[in-house]
Amino acid sequence: MAALPPDSFHPDKTSDRAMTRRTFLRSTAALSGLTALAASLSPLRELGDFTSTEEFLQKYYKELNPDEMAKVLKRIERDVERQYGIRPHVRDLKPMDGVEFVYCLNLTRCIGCRKCVHACVAENNLSRSPEIQYIRVLKLPHGSLDVEKADHNYTTKQVPEKGFFYMPVQCQQCKNPPCVKVCPVNATWQESDGITVIDYDWCIGCRYCEAACPYWARRFNFAKPEVPKERVNPNMSYLGNRPRKQGVMEKCHFCIQRTRAGRYPACLEVCPVGARKFGNILDPESEVSYILREKRVFIQLKEEMGTSPRFFYYFEK
Amino acid sequence: MDSDIQPPTRAGRIQTNWILAAVSATFLVMAGLFVANLWGRTAATPKVPLVDVQFLDPAPWRQTYTDLAKAKEDLSDFDCYGCHEKKKPPVIEYDEKHNIVLPKEHSNLKLGHGSHNRNNVCYNCHNEQNLVTFQARDGRELKFQDSTALCGSCHGPTYRDWEAGVHGRTSGYWDRSRGELQRLNCANCHDPHSPRIPTRAPAPPPRGLHEPATGPTPTAH
Ligand code: HEC
Ligand code: HEC
Ligand code: HEC
Ligand code: HEC
Repeated sequence: MAALPPDSFHPDKTSDRAMTRRTFLRSTAALSGLTALAASLSPLRELGDFTSTEEFLQKYYKELNPDEMAKVLKRIERDVERQYGIRPHVRDLKPMDGVEFVYCLNLTRCIGCRKCVHACVAENNLSRSPEIQYIRVLKLPHGSLDVEKADHNYTTKQVPEKGFFYMPVQCQQCKNPPCVKVCPVNATWQESDGITVIDYDWCIGCRYCEAACPYWARRFNFAKPEVPKERVNPNMSYLGNRPRKQGVMEKCHFCIQRTRAGRYPACLEVCPVGARKFGNILDPESEVSYILREKRVFIQLKEEMGTSPRFFYYFEK
Repeated sequence: MDSDIQPPTRAGRIQTNWILAAVSATFLVMAGLFVANLWGRTAATPKVPLVDVQFLDPAPWRQTYTDLAKAKEDLSDFDCYGCHEKKKPPVIEYDEKHNIVLPKEHSNLKLGHGSHNRNNVCYNCHNEQNLVTFQARDGRELKFQDSTALCGSCHGPTYRDWEAGVHGRTSGYWDRSRGELQRLNCANCHDPHSPRIPTRAPAPPPRGLHEPATGPTPTAH
């Protein structure tokens, strides 16, 4: 090969250069690939604070025997104490025989003050940021029941406003719950006292139930829930208000930690006008039995969907 | 070597080099960003201010005579004979429109019981002969503690609902075998002299996921 002028084409030299370029490209690609992989795994860092191997390997609620359940409850108590500095009392309360819960809400009384919303947040250790609330208070003009057009962001200075009524909506604890039917892993089911519960450790976060619910009652933890330490409610139950984690569904469970211990739910206790009534429909002496017997006009939201809610709205007079 | 492959021109080579340099630089920047995201904190969700504890308080908005007595608070308003004379019932003053005129000693009372103030007359409830008691419609003389029975003497149907736990509020235990229940008295919610429930400021509305944490949430209307 004769000597070539320096600026002319030289195949060997070019292929040499091409190799260098290729290796360079390869290594940058490999580097960015690796970092991308690491970045995609990075959410696992956050699981570190909460998910223990025990939790990760935990069995389905219905398969836990009493001994295992006792251990799981202790584990949750430890986890909560580590995270919030408060030793909670976590129980697994079972439905009672001869009890079926029903909720009645007097729309003539409700003034839309939203105290129930916030009492529920406090009682059930709901995330403050991002904000999760089980109860949504709809404001509707008198004579209308078009819940799809209701306003729940009203910021009027004083309530009630003339010409409107207020309708708090939360899980309706349907007899025929569509959310339960669509769950691909049976992480949500209806118990004998009528409460539809969720096993937060079994939920895979697919949000099918959220889409299936006609009452917008189910909430998803898009981010790690944040509960301020000073407002943690230490009275907890497994299927109720124990802390949830990112990526699972939650919803109103009629304050299982209170109601299965014989007490009224938190939203009822805080209602300043006594619009909320709760009790055992199988007991003829209960308030709810009295209401369903004595009062007239009842509304079961979206009754036509065949969900058969255990939540009755009514007007008086 | 195929002779029909055109050797790139000098300008073409420089262009290729630039493109390669740009691609590599982009890769490096992306890698840098990924690493930064990996070690940096995930974007913090905005802090939501905690709701005022007044909205979490289950206490009723009024205290009755019984509550005040229990809390050992000032009961001088109920000491009728600290100001009035026994056996000399105070005379109710009316203006020309037949509305009751209150002396300044009673200016804290807001009157308005029933449509057209049908039930403002003091002695419909207070006992003219013995001011420190009530006089129910059925003739019973009732103590200040028993104001609920007084209301019941005129509001029979509402009182029956109240006894069943349906009007007003019953709290505590729905399961009576496990604990006590408490029932609010009428005067915990209704001012006996103007029983219509007053309006109040509502608790804050919900915040959307992406709304700013400060400032009012925009209204829908
Ligand atoms: C701080 C002193 C004071 C106390 C305590 C007090 N009163 Fe009076 N009250 C007055 C005065 C002064 C008047 C006006 C002059 C009068 O009629 O004696 C009045 C007037 C009245 C009147 C007539 C109202 C009108 O329209 O003029 C009634 C009825 C009455 N009082 C009932 C009561 C009852 C019942 C109590 C106890 C629950 C009570 N008062 C406690 C000072 C008092
Ligand atoms: C002497 C009979 C009588 C007594 C006692 C009585 N009320 Fe009334 N109340 C009435 C009448 C009359 C009305 C007017 C009804 C109407 O206008 O339709 C009324 C109306 C009301 C209303 C409806 C709101 C309004 O102002 O129109 C409320 C609430 C009420 N009473 C609460 C009470 C409470 C609480 C008590 C006990 C502190 C009480 N009442 C004691 C006679 C009585
Ligand atoms: C509907 C029945 C009713 C009527 C009518 C009524 N009162 Fe009363 N009043 C009560 C009751 C019940 C209480 C006690 C409430 C409690 O436990 O807090 C009371 C308390 C009082 C008190 C003492 C506590 C306070 O709130 O200051 C005074 C003073 C009083 N009334 C004056 C009057 C006067 C004056 C009138 C007429 C203008 C009148 N009342 C009309 C039912 C009535
Ligand atoms: C938990 C609070 C609460 C208690 C306790 C309570 N009420 Fe009411 N009551 C209300 C509200 C809210 C209304 C709705 C009317 C309004 O906005 O003024 C009402 C309305 C009424 C009315 C008007 C008629 C109706 O049904 O709308 C009467 C009469 C009445 N109450 C009497 C009583 C009597 C008598 C008692 C005691 C036996 C009593 N209330 C106890 C909250 C209460």
